Amino acid sequence: MHVSESARAASAAESRFRIDVPIAPARAARVVALDERAASVARRLAERPWAHARFYTGGAADGLLHELDGTATPLEEALTGSDVVVVLATEDGGRATAAAIGRICGRRGITTAGVVLGDGFEADDAIAALRPYARVLLLSADESDTLELLTALRV
Amino acid sequence: MGELFRQYWIPALLAEELPENDCPPVRVKLLSERMVAFRDSEGRYGLVDEFCAHRGASLWFGRNEGSGLRCPYHGWKYDVTGQCVEVPSEADNSSFCQNVQLTSYPLVKIGDVLWTYMGDAATQPPLPEFEWIHVPAEQTYTSKRWQQCNWLQAFEGGIDSSHVTFLHSGGLKTDPLFRGAKGNEYNMNDTKPFFEVADSDGGLFVGARRNAEEGKYYWRITPYVMPAFTMVPPRGDHPVHGHFWVPIDDENCWTYSFDYHPVRALTETERQAMIDGHGVHSKNIPGTYRPVANMDNDYLIDREAQKRGETYSGVAGIAMQDASLQESMGPIVDRTKERLVPADSGIIKARQKLRKAAVALRDEGVTPPGVDPEHHRVRSAAVVLPQAESFLDSCRDAVKVTPGVPQTTV
Ligand code: FES
Ligand SMILES: [Fe+2]
Repeated sequence: MHVSESARAASAAESRFRIDVPIAPARAARVVALDERAASVARRLAERPWAHARFYTGGAADGLLHELDGTATPLEEALTGSDVVVVLATEDGGRATAAAIGRICGRRGITTAGVVLGDGFEADDAIAALRPYARVLLLSADESDTLELLTALRV
Repeated sequence: MGELFRQYWIPALLAEELPENDCPPVRVKLLSERMVAFRDSEGRYGLVDEFCAHRGASLWFGRNEGSGLRCPYHGWKYDVTGQCVEVPSEADNSSFCQNVQLTSYPLVKIGDVLWTYMGDAATQPPLPEFEWIHVPAEQTYTSKRWQQCNWLQAFEGGIDSSHVTFLHSGGLKTDPLFRGAKGNEYNMNDTKPFFEVADSDGGLFVGARRNAEEGKYYWRITPYVMPAFTMVPPRGDHPVHGHFWVPIDDENCWTYSFDYHPVRALTETERQAMIDGHGVHSKNIPGTYRPVANMDNDYLIDREAQKRGETYSGVAGIAMQDASLQESMGPIVDRTKERLVPADSGIIKARQKLRKAAVALRDEGVTPPGVDPEHHRVRSAAVVLPQAESFLDSCRDAVKVTPGVPQTTV
């Protein structure tokens, strides 16, 4: 016998009755690698099974995103239908793209997360480039941090 | 994870629980092991197996006298190391008792806390150096409370900065140990903070930034030292608080909550507020470490106070607002049913660090972060910075312990 509703509800026995339905992946994620080293991480991650995540490389002067097979897509279009964008960077070469992504996401209410791979002064530049736009910034991160983040977000 | 915890010095009990030599022994359960703690006639502390080696009676009934704890059943007597020193039924100079030793762990008083190390004696690290236990006694206060859930979901609340503006919004305005700081305004005015999560030597720094005046950000920096120590960023000149979570078993933990000021004594009013369960502390049932508001009385939830806007959840007190929700998840929350968001990155990263450290320890014997006492010398900080500045670069000194230098706070 439990002496209160809360005590009974918090018991191990009662935890068994939590409704058990599979969680529908809620996130339509875009993962954008802003430079070459980030792109190699993105390529490896893209090989895993994801629900809806799509992977791109970007950061070149043309302002286009490229799918990993090379297909070019305008930024606006690539982000359509997305609700979270995860940007990967190792340096600040993609500053302009980061800013463009940030502006679009800000306008459309898309949450952005930035993952800065590695550390040192190049990474500092990447941080400065992503900071204004990323709701969350993971610093001095590595591939496994990126994997954990994407996995936890169920993308 | 148990092995991981056995690499560290962890709080075993409060020093006030063993107030004088030869005082009654206290039952202590940690990392799923039942023990008794006692303080012998010479003031030495011991933490030993709860059960007598003879026929298994609880040494909680032991007579603490003459430099040892004597089982009242047949009179076997043990010293603070668990060594049996007397077996009355044996011949007077029998060597039998030399071969009887209860499992025991070191127990050391530092600050208001008795610390133990439950791992291999060969790898026992130097004693902890957290600032809160090393400032003079008048500058610090520690309480503890029993929490009825797994330690990890309780600990995760300590790095979950995004709940503060909701769950604790009432407290920011009214709690005597929180209210009145300039930083609180930034907190209330911007409920959508941005987060940055960075590795540190001992664990993590989680920075939460909110808009401040034009061109400036208000940063709150929370350090995490593995396995289970976090500090809350300061508010004004209020004492600085933080927590240490210690597993009792898989479904219970101790939450140690402390408040200290790096450079001044706590005022009478502050200390009284802490004793009364304000701030991060809880009002406990006298003679116990169970909160007065607990699951058995539905945390004394007051829907009227909630309606009046005094509390956000209807539960009073910051500590119990946290505990009530963490316990409501069940004894061990099912994380396969979570939906984490980018703002939960601190939690995501902390879990990863714990898992990595546990695996590296198991597979390669790697000493985990946070064992080296140098890692303990961190502070939380609250600061307003120009937008272009990185909190880690600008706050390198602010997040380090410098004795005699006040905390960095807004
Ligand atoms: S809003 Fe976070 S647990 Fe419900
Ligand atoms: Fe909290």
